[in-house]
Amino acid sequence: MTAAVLDRRDEWDGPVPVPSGSNAPFWEATLDGELLYQRCSCGTKQLYPRAVCSGCGAVDPPFESSDGLGTVHSYTVCHAPGEPGFDTRTPYVVAVVELLEGPRLLALLDVDADAVTVEMPVEVVFWRVSDVAAIPVFVPR
Amino acid sequence: MTEPILAGVAESDLGETPDRNWLDNAAIATVRALDDAGCTLSDVDGVAVAGGRDYMQALLLAEYLALDEPTFLEGTEIGGSSFEAFCGHVGDAMAQGRVDVAVIAYGSTSKTGPGRSRELKVTHPIEGFVRPTGLFRPPGAYALAARRHMHEYGTTKADLAEIAVSTREWAAMNPKAAMREPITVDDVLESRPIADPLTLLDCCLVSDGGGAVVLVSESKATELGVPPIAVAGVASTMTHRQDMSEMPDLTTTGAAVTGSKAFTEAGIDHDDVDLAQIYDSFTYTVLVTLEDLGFCEKGEGGSFVADGTTAPGGELPMNTQGGGLSYCHPGHFGVFLLIEAVRQLRGDYTGDRQVNDAEVCVVHGTGGVLSSSSTVVLRRET
Repeated sequence: MTAAVLDRRDEWDGPVPVPSGSNAPFWEATLDGELLYQRCSCGTKQLYPRAVCSGCGAVDPPFESSDGLGTVHSYTVCHAPGEPGFDTRTPYVVAVVELLEGPRLLALLDVDADAVTVEMPVEVVFWRVSDVAAIPVFVPR
Repeated sequence: MTEPILAGVAESDLGETPDRNWLDNAAIATVRALDDAGCTLSDVDGVAVAGGRDYMQALLLAEYLALDEPTFLEGTEIGGSSFEAFCGHVGDAMAQGRVDVAVIAYGSTSKTGPGRSRELKVTHPIEGFVRPTGLFRPPGAYALAARRHMHEYGTTKADLAEIAVSTREWAAMNPKAAMREPITVDDVLESRPIADPLTLLDCCLVSDGGGAVVLVSESKATELGVPPIAVAGVASTMTHRQDMSEMPDLTTTGAAVTGSKAFTEAGIDHDDVDLAQIYDSFTYTVLVTLEDLGFCEKGEGGSFVADGTTAPGGELPMNTQGGGLSYCHPGHFGVFLLIEAVRQLRGDYTGDRQVNDAEVCVVHGTGGVLSSSSTVVLRRET
């Protein structure tokens, strides 16, 4: 699947990831609206990307494309900015999202703070925040 | 018998120490703790340091104090639980005859010192997945865990607030505590939201300061004539580090593993515990740790802490100096848990501040963002 990629380069003044090593394929795919995770032949699924499989130790486990669908495993409403560039965003919602494929990731939720519930179904969109990376952000589905 | 004895404890000045750096505060705490033990710097042959804002911090403190060929140098950095873990490492080395007098030390200037670097280009391979979310850490990380606990077990913000209220009651009796005015559950609920469900009064203080503990062999303890406060059991583990989405179960910490191990090693059960020092970076940290240590069933932490269970006069006196929530929190609170445990077990205090006939204290450190867990059982030997 591919999701929408919204170009936020002009308005984003928060931290931006610098791709390196085993996470480079992940960030490259985000520019095309694709959310990758690693699925090893041993069955282990993992995100963030690593050079080794945390299940069997295989080097460079292969990437798979996620459907970008998940649920809010938990969330917090940040009333104080946790990073530069977030001062004007408060209150904003950060969640642990559990993908339907299994892996979890930390992500911004683009949603009103009052509308969030645990186990709420969400789907990914991407905010392009630099020339080399778009961050996964989740919205209600 | 090879249990290390906690022979001396001390803090540096706390609160704001703008004329000191982390090494100053660690060193001042060290010499005060040595004085408390009846030792001098020339007795020290081991040093264990965590949390200093430096590279090779154990070597730095040993150099700063001009230690003479120390044989035990320990700088394992697992956050706020490092000092509890050090009790085990020192004990192992002591059992092998590799160290006789070891200082566990910490110092910081979290309040007045330089802040964290905020480079916008995130080159760290894991932080690149965390920082762009804007998560306000550490409170937001703990809030994620607390929210999941509320979802699974019906825990409420008022349950968490009870912990802040009980802890403040202890702080009111400690002249060194930064926050001593009594508070109510409503005060906590109505304080400024930080990272929902946590409010300002659910969060620990930010302080300068240092602390130190002197561990000696039993023969050295006999020579010094100090009360035999012994490390009777110790265990450590971890669940994750940087990314909360990697914590296997947001509602269970490593304390579920370390508690039973340390209790077994010490040969105690919960009925033997006279008091507890539980790392309280946030109110939720305490609630989940009490559950994981087995003081109540999983999910029942809220009802356990209600009605002053951990307050003065309660069933389980806890954080009797006022904790990180109300006494001080220079960043790695674990050393201060040990300091207060020793003072209680020695019977240093008077009146309501002293827990009567305190013989067994459970000390539990938590590091990172609920990441590392270390439990120590301290016992006053007879």
